[in-house]
Amino acid sequence: MKTLVRLEILRTLRNRKFMFFSMMYPALLFVISTLGTGKDKEVGDLGLTYVAYYMVAMAAFGAMTAVLMGNAERIAREREKGWVRQLRLTALPGRGYVTAKIAAAATVSLPSILIVLILGATVKSVHMAAWQWIAIAVSTWAGSLVFAALGVAIGYLATADAARPISMVFYFGLAGLGGLWVPVTGWPDWLQTVIGYLPGRPYAALGQSIELGDAPHAKDIAVLACYLALFAGTAAWLYRKDTRKA
Amino acid sequence: MTVTATNGATGPTVQTGAPVVGFSGVSKSYGAVRAVADVSLELHPGETVALLGPNGAGKSTALDLLLGLKNADGGSVRVFGRTPAQAIAEGRVGAMLQSGGLMEEVTVRELVGLACELHPRAYPVDQVLAAAGIADIGSRMVNKLSGGQEQRVRFALATAGANDLIVLDEPTVGMDVSARQAFWATMRGQVEEGRTVLFATHYLEEADAIADRVLVLHQGRLIADGTAAEIKARAGARRITFDLEGAIDEAALRALPHLVGLEITGPTVRIRSDDADATTHAVYGLGLYPRNLEVAGLGLEQAFLAITDAATAANAYPAGAGGDEAGKR
Repeated sequence: MKTLVRLEILRTLRNRKFMFFSMMYPALLFVISTLGTGKDKEVGDLGLTYVAYYMVAMAAFGAMTAVLMGNAERIAREREKGWVRQLRLTALPGRGYVTAKIAAAATVSLPSILIVLILGATVKSVHMAAWQWIAIAVSTWAGSLVFAALGVAIGYLATADAARPISMVFYFGLAGLGGLWVPVTGWPDWLQTVIGYLPGRPYAALGQSIELGDAPHAKDIAVLACYLALFAGTAAWLYRKDTRKA
Repeated sequence: MTVTATNGATGPTVQTGAPVVGFSGVSKSYGAVRAVADVSLELHPGETVALLGPNGAGKSTALDLLLGLKNADGGSVRVFGRTPAQAIAEGRVGAMLQSGGLMEEVTVRELVGLACELHPRAYPVDQVLAAAGIADIGSRMVNKLSGGQEQRVRFALATAGANDLIVLDEPTVGMDVSARQAFWATMRGQVEEGRTVLFATHYLEEADAIADRVLVLHQGRLIADGTAAEIKARAGARRITFDLEGAIDEAALRALPHLVGLEITGPTVRIRSDDADATTHAVYGLGLYPRNLEVAGLGLEQAFLAITDAATAANAYPAGAGGDEAGKR
């Protein structure tokens, strides 16, 4: 299983185009989305500047892009080509495949997170304590595993042609409802309550709590952990159950 | 199920008791199509078995069921007395699928190394590469291989460890004649080490030359099971062809001794017989004067067509015309 994890990471690193665009995309969006805003302008009553809000939002968004879009379509295609059938004829347990796929996705998401944070610290002059930078990077990275697992599950449910549009729906839905594009502060209370139980909002909230100098909320962590277990479990189950003509 | 990895494993374990493969009353349908219908069979240690059938006969489905890639609707599939998944987890089964894709963006050596790492009773990577004849392309990227090289990589994946059963689904498709010969030479080595080999093919000469047992699958049913020689005999080992003048008395011809099949086209009579001498003698005995008489041996291919046609007719499906024309598929 170690070899599989290593090979999956290696393959991802060898796919230079995908790595490059996954890294540039969120960085570019971050720069564009904060172009017109004043340096000290604050978002509602959150106590965060627009720049700080979008830095975490775009780091999260970039990680989501990398793991969700990369995984779902590639897995669906591998299934179609029959590699997964071949792999199922080995002693590899279901969790091995899912672990390797999530690890490969995490390889892409880490640099895309770091680039946004570095841009924030240098070009956008966001100031925070060292522990805050580290904590934001780690929590955003760890949180991206939830969406990586979702990507694996979609890759298992959908055909290669359908995987991209389906992951798009999840990706835009979860990112939009997570307040990654438009701050959630002006939204109705009931909607803010509902989105607190979807994975997007708790994901962005991890980093935003840290920016405010707090630890991430236990509820956000719990919600994300539940989704991770759900998506990863579903993916592993689908891997072993995949008795359709792949 | 954990089995200690033994990198020094030298050969398959000796089987005792349970048959290598046991199908009992196995069925699998896709909607209204019965891909595999009530198949029962047993494979025994050391056998080399060919699974023959025309396209769509259910060969691939039968192998998928055997390997646990699909679940049977009815009946039971056992491999070494266990479920297919258990047998695979124990590293007793290696398989080369026609539809088995390969991981891309890695080298041949990396991929085969992965198969070795995952196998509970793996051989060293170099040994596997050498046995599959791909030691020289170990550093090549998998997505840059030719079709024949890909097949060899698949073969390496199927033989990464000390399997007791090797399952091959049309293993030589896409290989030229010399590659095919080299492949079967490698495969014979596996057989000599005491492994059981099951291969699906539609190259009948392969079944004839390599298998010591032939299973014929047609429309999901197992319609013949025996040695190649037995199957030829069953189909009528010889073909007798002659022309007759005037009206042909079909009933009289049908009553000929040792007649297995009869076909009349205009003045031409084609007979399949399991004793051509006796049948020919009886033709003269009827007072007939056959012209252009020819007696020829049936190849396994013709035998196969004869058996599947008979089965088609028996199943009351619209019969494919032409009993034993050579080369007809």
